[in-house]
Amino acid sequence: MLISYTAMSGTSNNIIARTRKMVPALGLTMNGQKLVYLDNAATTQKPKQVLDFIQKALTENNANVHRSMYELSDRATTAYEAARKKVCEFINAPSVENIIFTSGTTASINLVADTFCRSLSFGDEILIEADSHHSNIVPWQLAAQRVGAIVKVIPTDIFCGRGKSGKLVVEALQELLTNKVKILALTHISNITGLHNPVKEIISAAHAKKIPVLVDGAQGIVHSEVDVQAMDCDFYAFSAHKIYGATGVGVLYGKKELLEQLPPYMGGGDMVETVSYEKTTYAPLPLKFEAGTPNFIGAASLTPALEFAEYLSSGSVGEALKAEEQKITQYMLDILLKDNDVELYGTPDAQNMGKSPIFTFNIKGINAGDLAQLLDKMGIAVRSGMMCAEPLLNSFGATSALRASFAPYNTMEEAEYFVSCLNRARKMLV
Amino acid sequence: MTIREIEQQIIEEFLVFDNWMDKYQYIIDLGKSMPVIQESAKTEENLIKGCQSRVWLDCREEDGRLYFSADSDAIITKGIISLLIRVYDGHTPQEIIESEIEFIDTIGLRSNLSPTRANGLVSMLKQIKLYAVAYNEKIEAEKSKEDMEEEKYSIEQVQKNVITALKQVFDPEIPVNVYDLGLIYEVNVQENRNVYIKMTMTSPTCPMAEDVVSDVNNAVSDAPGVKGVQIELTFEPEWDESRMSEEARLELGLM
Repeated sequence: MLISYTAMSGTSNNIIARTRKMVPALGLTMNGQKLVYLDNAATTQKPKQVLDFIQKALTENNANVHRSMYELSDRATTAYEAARKKVCEFINAPSVENIIFTSGTTASINLVADTFCRSLSFGDEILIEADSHHSNIVPWQLAAQRVGAIVKVIPTDIFCGRGKSGKLVVEALQELLTNKVKILALTHISNITGLHNPVKEIISAAHAKKIPVLVDGAQGIVHSEVDVQAMDCDFYAFSAHKIYGATGVGVLYGKKELLEQLPPYMGGGDMVETVSYEKTTYAPLPLKFEAGTPNFIGAASLTPALEFAEYLSSGSVGEALKAEEQKITQYMLDILLKDNDVELYGTPDAQNMGKSPIFTFNIKGINAGDLAQLLDKMGIAVRSGMMCAEPLLNSFGATSALRASFAPYNTMEEAEYFVSCLNRARKMLV
Repeated sequence: MTIREIEQQIIEEFLVFDNWMDKYQYIIDLGKSMPVIQESAKTEENLIKGCQSRVWLDCREEDGRLYFSADSDAIITKGIISLLIRVYDGHTPQEIIESEIEFIDTIGLRSNLSPTRANGLVSMLKQIKLYAVAYNEKIEAEKSKEDMEEEKYSIEQVQKNVITALKQVFDPEIPVNVYDLGLIYEVNVQENRNVYIKMTMTSPTCPMAEDVVSDVNNAVSDAPGVKGVQIELTFEPEWDESRMSEEARLELGLM
């Protein structure tokens, strides 16, 4: 099923308004106020195309995939496999064999951490990043514990006293990339700082030492154009729900030779070729890693979801939204950086350094939870707490923080409303 | 005021505000004006588990009543605790255990909190009740210890102890103790070790009457085995010298 978007023309404001209309949740009211949804790093709101697709899939295409000979099952399988094709094109993977559906970024990383690290030995090293969220830390710790491997961390500037921007210290790699390192787990874009890590540069350094690299793309898939072949990563993980799709669906991209080497993660369902009580042979890629009934409705919704993502980034719409996003980023940085009482976590140290519109900060003497609660009463949805990245947040000297994260459908007007409400809440709390 | 009455007062205070921003402002102001807890009370033990913001709750007991102090790094949370403290402060553990507070729902606080904060509120309430249960047990234990002590003395023994105590109380004008003076008409030790004393004064116009009664009360209260004292002052019949004991009369040279 293909949904075509008619090319849009008109003023930038018109384009933004029409785009927002496609996402019904953006028209909600909360506590008597118009909803201003700024928790997009946690999950994004869904366009009508995705909602309709899911409704239709459950009504007209609902049968278990890859199993049966009847028409209805065929339709479900076709939709599921079409989404795989769509993902493959979206991230420029060589083949659909490289695309494994999982239940989310976390499941994708766990799959690799668990299966890849089974062959590790005592004393081997796994290299992760200091700016990772828990999903790209804990699976590696669990895997390391099983074999007696060691998890080492690429620091941010704070950890080695080189600054306080939260930027990854790539220079530290020279020392860290020893012969003992068996795999490197990177974060494409941090969910706290919004800073873009130079993944390509790090990957080529790792590959020079024959070390495979997994990239956590939970935020990267939304805020950058991902080309897994150009990036040359060995694994790339992301969730559907952060890119306008359904919850409970994730993608693991993997290079074919690596995926073939890895043992199966879970057993059961459709991941087999032949089963006897003594021995089982496994299905070829990608089904080898898709045990049990997959979330075939949710996975299929990636087709309209990624079409929506493409619509948001291409043509006149793409230009208008990109310009708006840059305006918002500049505005937010100006406001937050000039305020002496604001501590912003993740400051770009140069004009050309990539920063996505994710703003995590604290206001001195004010509890982030209090701010979030008052903002909620003014219709604004923002995150407060640890953002599932406790070690990084602690490195900034914070035990909790407020995070406003924007999506392409957010507007400058919303950014300004957020700032004025933030000031109002702040006055109440001081 | 009872817990219910204080709750009612809070409910009425919140009726004044017609929107949640104002209600929050009020809660914030309560949080700001809350007495500061001593740093030494911010212990790991006093930290409430399950609160997204950090909350410390301390409790002390005085004369069988509980008093709370608290702190939090979040001001709205602090305001909410101050409401809870206002409701529960100065009540007995039993009253706190039996109470089922309503104001949180009536003023819409629970439904207007984020789920994580609402869970925190539940944790705070739970902690207050846990304190009450703990102090209740402690108070009960002390009481049963006292009861055991009382039962060590028989009623006759307590009667003797009371008389010994009465013999230590002297009339301010006559150097003879109140018992030998014959001012004590009746000493009755009851089953529950409460002591009933009927007594008189040498004259209905005695200016020191109050002092004498108070001295008697103190002396008898302190007598071993005595739980409570009730004194009745009477001038019926009137006192006269014939009521004095022989020792007293000897002492005063009346014999």
